[in-house]
Amino acid sequence: MTSSGTSAGSQPFTDAQLAAFLDGTLDDEALLDAIEAAINADPALAERIEALAAGEDHTAQAVRDAFAPVLSAPVPDHLTQIVAATAPDTAEVVDLAAARTARKLPMPANDAGTPGSSWRWPQFGAMAASLALGVMIGGPLLTGGANGGAGALVLAAVEGPSTPTAVAAMLDTAPSGQAVDLASLGTGEVVLTFRNADGALCRQFMVEAGSNTSDALACAGKDGGWQVEAFGRRAAQSSEMKLAGGDAAVSVVAAVDEMIASDVLIGADEAAQLKQK
Amino acid sequence: MTRPMNPDDTTRQALIALIPRLRRFARVLTGTIADADDVVQASLEKAMLNLDQWQPGTRLDSWLFRIARNTWVDDRRRAHNSKGHDDIGEMIDLAGDDGVAVVEASNEARMVRAAVDRLPAEQRDVVALVMLEEFSYREAADALDLPIGTVMSRLSRAKAALAKMLTAEGSVQ
Repeated sequence: MTSSGTSAGSQPFTDAQLAAFLDGTLDDEALLDAIEAAINADPALAERIEALAAGEDHTAQAVRDAFAPVLSAPVPDHLTQIVAATAPDTAEVVDLAAARTARKLPMPANDAGTPGSSWRWPQFGAMAASLALGVMIGGPLLTGGANGGAGALVLAAVEGPSTPTAVAAMLDTAPSGQAVDLASLGTGEVVLTFRNADGALCRQFMVEAGSNTSDALACAGKDGGWQVEAFGRRAAQSSEMKLAGGDAAVSVVAAVDEMIASDVLIGADEAAQLKQK
Repeated sequence: MTRPMNPDDTTRQALIALIPRLRRFARVLTGTIADADDVVQASLEKAMLNLDQWQPGTRLDSWLFRIARNTWVDDRRRAHNSKGHDDIGEMIDLAGDDGVAVVEASNEARMVRAAVDRLPAEQRDVVALVMLEEFSYREAADALDLPIGTVMSRLSRAKAALAKMLTAEGSVQ
C-alpha cells in the first residue's frame, strides 16, 4: 500500500497496464497496489478504467452461467412467506447462530397443535410458488471436500418423478418414528405428519446415510406423488444421542412451522389419514 | 383477503421478486445453498423490520444486498465458523438413485462454482455484485462501502485466481 509516487493528476500507468489490471493478468503485486491506490485517489482514473472495462468478459460470463441454476431454482416457500406474511412491525431480527441451535421442533405430544408459540399459519398460501422439485439422493459427487461422504440429500430442480421410489413408498405408508431401510439410499424415517392449509398431507422426514443426515418436508401432490417443499442438510452430529426431529435442518423446521395447519397426526389417526392421502 | 395496495405492498412485491437474486448473491458469499438460505432468511427479516429505512428512489436491490452482506459478515464473525464448502448438497447438482452422478448439465459450471467458492471472502462479494449482478464498479463500491479502486483490484485479483484455478483444472477457454 505504499504509494509509489502516484499523485492524483499525473497518471503513470499505460493503457496496457490498466487493461492487464482489469483482466487479472497483472503479475506485479506492487503495481497492482499502486493502481488501486491511484484509482482511489483519482476519480478521473476510475473513469478511464471503467471505459476500458466495457466489452465482453469471458470470465464473468462463465461465472454467470455457473450460478444460473441458483437463479432459476424455485424459492423455498418459507423465504417468500417472510415478506408476504410478516407485518413490518412484528418481525424480529433473527440471530442466525441462535436460530441454528435454539430452533427445536415441537415434539408430537399432547401439546401438539395448540395454537400459539411457534406455530404460524400461512396467510398468503396462494402467493407461494408451487414447487415441483425432485428428490434425489446422491452419493459422493465431487469436490475433495472433507465431508465427501455418501448420502447427501440432493434436490434437483427438474421436472419428472418427484421422489425416488423408496422414499415415496416410505412417505406413502411408514408411520412416524419408524426407521425404514431405503436400500442404497440409506435409512429413512418420517418425523412428523400433518395437513397444511390446503388440506394436503405433509410429512417431514430424514434420510441418513453414513454420517450425513438430511431433512426434508414433502406434501402430497394432486397427482398422488410427493412434492418437496423444503430440504436441508444437518450440521454434523455433536453428540452420539440423536433426536429424530430435534436437530432437523433449520430450513425444514421453519417450513413445517409455516405450513402446519392441523394437529400432528400420530398412531391410528396417522395410518388412517395416510390411506386417504 | 385482498387488501388495498399501499407503498409497503409494492415494496414487498419487489422484495419477493428479488429473492432469487438474493439467494444467488448469498450462495456466492456462503458457499452452500443451505447457508445461503439462512442468510437470505435473516436478511429478509431485517429488511421487513427496517423497511422504512429504505429510501424510495434508491435501488432496492443494492439496499437488500448490503443487508445480506452485513448479515453474512456478522454471522461469520460471531460463529467463527468458516465451514468448508459442501457442494455435495448443492441442489443444482444432479445425482441418480444409485448414488452415482448421472447428469451434470455442465461439468464446467460445477468447476466454475467450486473455483468461485475458493476465492477469499473479500473477493467473493465483489465477484457477486460485478460479475453476476453486473453492477458498475461505482455501484458495487457504494453497496459494499469500499473505495472504487479497491473494488477494481479485488476483482482483478479474483479474475487472476479464477483463471489460474480453471486452467489448472483444464476447463474454460
